[in-house]
Amino acid sequence: MSKQILILSQSHLEGTTDHVCQWMNHLRIPYLRVNGEDFFHFQNLDDLPGNNEVAAVWYRRKISSFPVKYSLKQTDFNTQYTLKRFLVDEFNGLHSLLFYTIDRHKWLNDPISEDNLNKLHVLSLARQCGISTPFTEVVTTKAAIMHLLDKGKELIVKPVSECIFLEDAEGGQYKMLTKTINNANLHLVPEKFFPSLVQEKIIKKFEIRTFYLDGACYSMAIFSQNNRKTKDDFRNYDNQRPNRTVPYKLPADLERKLDQLMKSLRFRTGSIDLMVDMQGNYHFLEINPEGQFGMVSYPCNYYLEKKLAELLHKNSSHEKEIHQ
Amino acid sequence: MSLLCDLQMRRFYHIPNDTADVLIFLQQHSISECMTHYGEDNRKTIKGYIDFILNKELGFTDNQLLPELTPLDLSWDRYSDITNVIIEYNEEINYTGSFFRELFDLHVQGLEIRCYRKTTLDKIRELLEVFNGTTLKFIKLVLAYDDTLELQILDKLVKQYPRVKALLIHSSPADNPEKIFEGSVPVIFVSSNINSCLACGEIRSSYFISNMELFTESQHYNTCLNRKLSIDLNGYIRNCPSLPDNFGHVMDTSVQEVLDNKAFHKYAKIRKDEIAGCKDCEFRHVCTDCRAYLENPQDIYSKPLKCGYDPYNGTWEDWTKNPLKHAAIAGYGLGEIIN
Ligand code: SF4
Repeated sequence: MSKQILILSQSHLEGTTDHVCQWMNHLRIPYLRVNGEDFFHFQNLDDLPGNNEVAAVWYRRKISSFPVKYSLKQTDFNTQYTLKRFLVDEFNGLHSLLFYTIDRHKWLNDPISEDNLNKLHVLSLARQCGISTPFTEVVTTKAAIMHLLDKGKELIVKPVSECIFLEDAEGGQYKMLTKTINNANLHLVPEKFFPSLVQEKIIKKFEIRTFYLDGACYSMAIFSQNNRKTKDDFRNYDNQRPNRTVPYKLPADLERKLDQLMKSLRFRTGSIDLMVDMQGNYHFLEINPEGQFGMVSYPCNYYLEKKLAELLHKNSSHEKEIHQ
Repeated sequence: MSLLCDLQMRRFYHIPNDTADVLIFLQQHSISECMTHYGEDNRKTIKGYIDFILNKELGFTDNQLLPELTPLDLSWDRYSDITNVIIEYNEEINYTGSFFRELFDLHVQGLEIRCYRKTTLDKIRELLEVFNGTTLKFIKLVLAYDDTLELQILDKLVKQYPRVKALLIHSSPADNPEKIFEGSVPVIFVSSNINSCLACGEIRSSYFISNMELFTESQHYNTCLNRKLSIDLNGYIRNCPSLPDNFGHVMDTSVQEVLDNKAFHKYAKIRKDEIAGCKDCEFRHVCTDCRAYLENPQDIYSKPLKCGYDPYNGTWEDWTKNPLKHAAIAGYGLGEIIN
């Protein structure tokens, strides 16, 4: 059987995968797309894609939602939630078997590193690469916050892990967003609290979203400053006045350091968030290895979906050569 | 005149060349250098230009030039060999054959279905069924007016076939733009009669589009014909229904044969930058084109016949009244439809 490119994704809400697949079709690059939903049709472990058939892997998504709903006989809100968590863990346990059965070097991004990415660790790696990052601390007391504010820093609080969506009983939806803490709202902070990540607030001139692809940085500047509503985080989307998004070229020195950082994580693709302050200094914020790149590709006319298809092709041809 | 295109917000601004010169100068120079360069007398005017840019959110002021804000890459490519299709609908033709399957497997994005004559909605539904399961994104329906075409019924139709994103109803009792499906789908009723492709190829400023797709494609290809394919009323495959050459019949031709035929691509590379008149026109990359009706039918680089714009003095006139165009109008047999 000839080796092929494996794309791990999900069947719904994945425009980026669809787009890359359409490029692969057009460029006549053979591939196998396995969606998380397909795991429900496999009969046994032998049906999972095997190392020998696979030349390169692009791991994009696991699954959007399970094709069947499961519930316990005596269901209440808590047990239902526990069950949901359990099923997610079960599914992940199966899905991540591939991380071990398929040789690690075939993966565009190291899957274990990708699935366990730690924001605090990434920040410290970035600093080791000589990239400037905002002052970051994890604190548990109001006193510690007061101490930091006294130093003249305004702070933001954001999760160490990922932002979550919450839903109330009426179906209202809430998204967790970056919040500012300053002397004016300090009184809302309790004396002691759950360990929380605080970061120096950078007054930004604009934000930068960089898509890193095999050593190259494709960057986009995002201007949201004029827009009161989107001042803290441009994801608080303002549809009436969308942010201006334009192509941007990072200084060569910073690109080199970002390349070093991505290589140290064994990532060949990923989305990098940066901020430019009023003085024009760059601040590294975070990496999303599976970040959406359509939002950078389209406004900047970068054709990243096509470039990614070509990269997969290059990797799989390389793999074939080695084994001939 | 010059054109300032905001491809993100899909707007464009028609500006005097002097304004454009100042804006281009400002790409490399500070505001104060610009003031010095153009002289104290022009200070207020230049300030006005800058305010305009700030107001329209086309730029911002900073304490330094930012060379990192690089120019947009204007390359263009698509993952489909055919991006847009026009079908001149004919009840006698079978649209489920292998040609159509092969064609829509190419990931065609946009389809226009033109009905010159009255057709029942059942027939239209039958045709729309063909595109279920394809990656087609956008269908425009052109229908002949019939008093059964009530908005309610059309609303049901577009909800059943959500790929239908625009409707044009010709030969209507009145000109009347409407909207259905919670305002998301325009239905334009026009009184004029669209009974053949002779009505096509009109250039109007209201047709101009300022977006990334058209602007970048226009740098390299003919936006009207590049990767476009049409099936005419009799089932013949053409670049566009109005062009004379055909590349076989849908019953006995494969899509691959058409794509392999060099003649099929003859117009694809004719850019606006090479067309007489258009090459000096500020609208050239927001305008579409027409190679079927030309001012000089002998010259494929000639300006579209149905354009009344004169880029050299910036004025629009009624193209049908231009005496220099009369020979071509008669030659194409357009005399009747313009009266
Ligand atoms: S001169 Fe050419 S580009 Fe300009 S409006 Fe007419 S057809 Fe369009």
